[in-house]
Amino acid sequence: MIPASFDYIAAKSLDEAISLLATHKDDAKILAGGHSLLPAMKLRLMQPKVLIDLGRIKELSYIKEEAGQLRIGAMTTHFQVETSDLLRRVCPLLPETATQLGDMQVRNKGTIGGSVAHSDPAADWPAAILALDAEIVATSARGDRVIKATSFFVEMLTTALEPGEILREIRIPGGKGKSGQAYVKVRHPASGFAVVGVAVNLAADGGKCQSAGVGITGVSPKAYRAANVESGLKGNALDAKTLSAAAAHAADGVDINSDLYASAEYRKQLATVYTRRALEIAASRLK
Amino acid sequence: MKIEGTQKIDAPRALMFAALIDPAVLQKCIPGCEQMEKTGENQYSAKLTAGVGPVKGVFNATVSLEDIIAPEHYKLVVEGKGQPGFVKGSGELNLTDAGSATDIQYTGEVNVGGLIASVGQRMIQATANMLAGRFFKSLESEMKAQAKLPADS
Repeated sequence: MIPASFDYIAAKSLDEAISLLATHKDDAKILAGGHSLLPAMKLRLMQPKVLIDLGRIKELSYIKEEAGQLRIGAMTTHFQVETSDLLRRVCPLLPETATQLGDMQVRNKGTIGGSVAHSDPAADWPAAILALDAEIVATSARGDRVIKATSFFVEMLTTALEPGEILREIRIPGGKGKSGQAYVKVRHPASGFAVVGVAVNLAADGGKCQSAGVGITGVSPKAYRAANVESGLKGNALDAKTLSAAAAHAADGVDINSDLYASAEYRKQLATVYTRRALEIAASRLK
Repeated sequence: MKIEGTQKIDAPRALMFAALIDPAVLQKCIPGCEQMEKTGENQYSAKLTAGVGPVKGVFNATVSLEDIIAPEHYKLVVEGKGQPGFVKGSGELNLTDAGSATDIQYTGEVNVGGLIASVGQRMIQATANMLAGRFFKSLESEMKAQAKLPADS
């Protein structure tokens, strides 16, 4: 449980971190909380030669409204998201997700940017980020690049971030009309990771569903948008029958994970049931 | 743990089979295979860097081809040992004609032990499927490259 030796550099600014990453390239890993990276290093499954710590860069930690979007700095901790009054008011899905994430130590130290960049197949954030149609801002010496959440998660532990890029910000589009959101999960009893996690973001007008975002994590090697669930909702009245029929498509067209805790068949069943519950909660919160 | 599936590749069966038992092709197509040396008849030693994303381990492996019935069947056996644990896998490949293309039907059994198995259990199945997918994708582009050569030269 002792990591291989490495150099540690605390970057003082984002520019410094970018140039350090350009210098050390593949030998370096970005430390953004470290609650996935450090355990992997202790087990020597990862052996970076250099750690570039973003922990002291204050300007990467914020939650604000700007240009009709919500903008969250990469180094904002899970706890800061969980307790943000602004988010509780305008985007309660994010605090609801944070509340169910890991344990208190993880929430105090772990960051939203670190988790999203790590892209664990059972992490909670990807579900919410997908359901909200978020954008991810990556920055490098070449400047900023904005990536849609739907093309960000490439496969397990692999994102669309290119070498030299650092995840800087997460942007959530502002909602229109009545919205209802929910995150529900089946929590792995030992790790706290999502065996199945479902995030829902509904918008309705005149009793009809205007738009639906359904993000699912834990079920497949990467989090995904459940397109068939969404199309089953759009334009329809959100009654119990519609919700249940749409939820039946929760695991359409994806490879389903199987492990000691949950077989693929069991996971698929959980995905269906928890998607229905998430939809019911979100629909009941429409306002 | 089982992996199985069928892959259709646009190449005639005889050519496909020859490629699948060619160590140079295998080295190119096995994900993370850095070197492969012949140690005996249909036996090779290989150095593999296997993993997913930034989580990787280096394995010293033996690769052997058994039960070769050209051009329709063989068994691929891989045993690897490395710092993060060990991997043992064997897969049966069956080739059948599908018009001018070839269907490769595979069934395999993979056993993983040591550190990887104890901490990475929830990701192993998905990793195995992903690596199998990458193998066939590389194989497909290799076959395309081979098909082009005679026409170009």
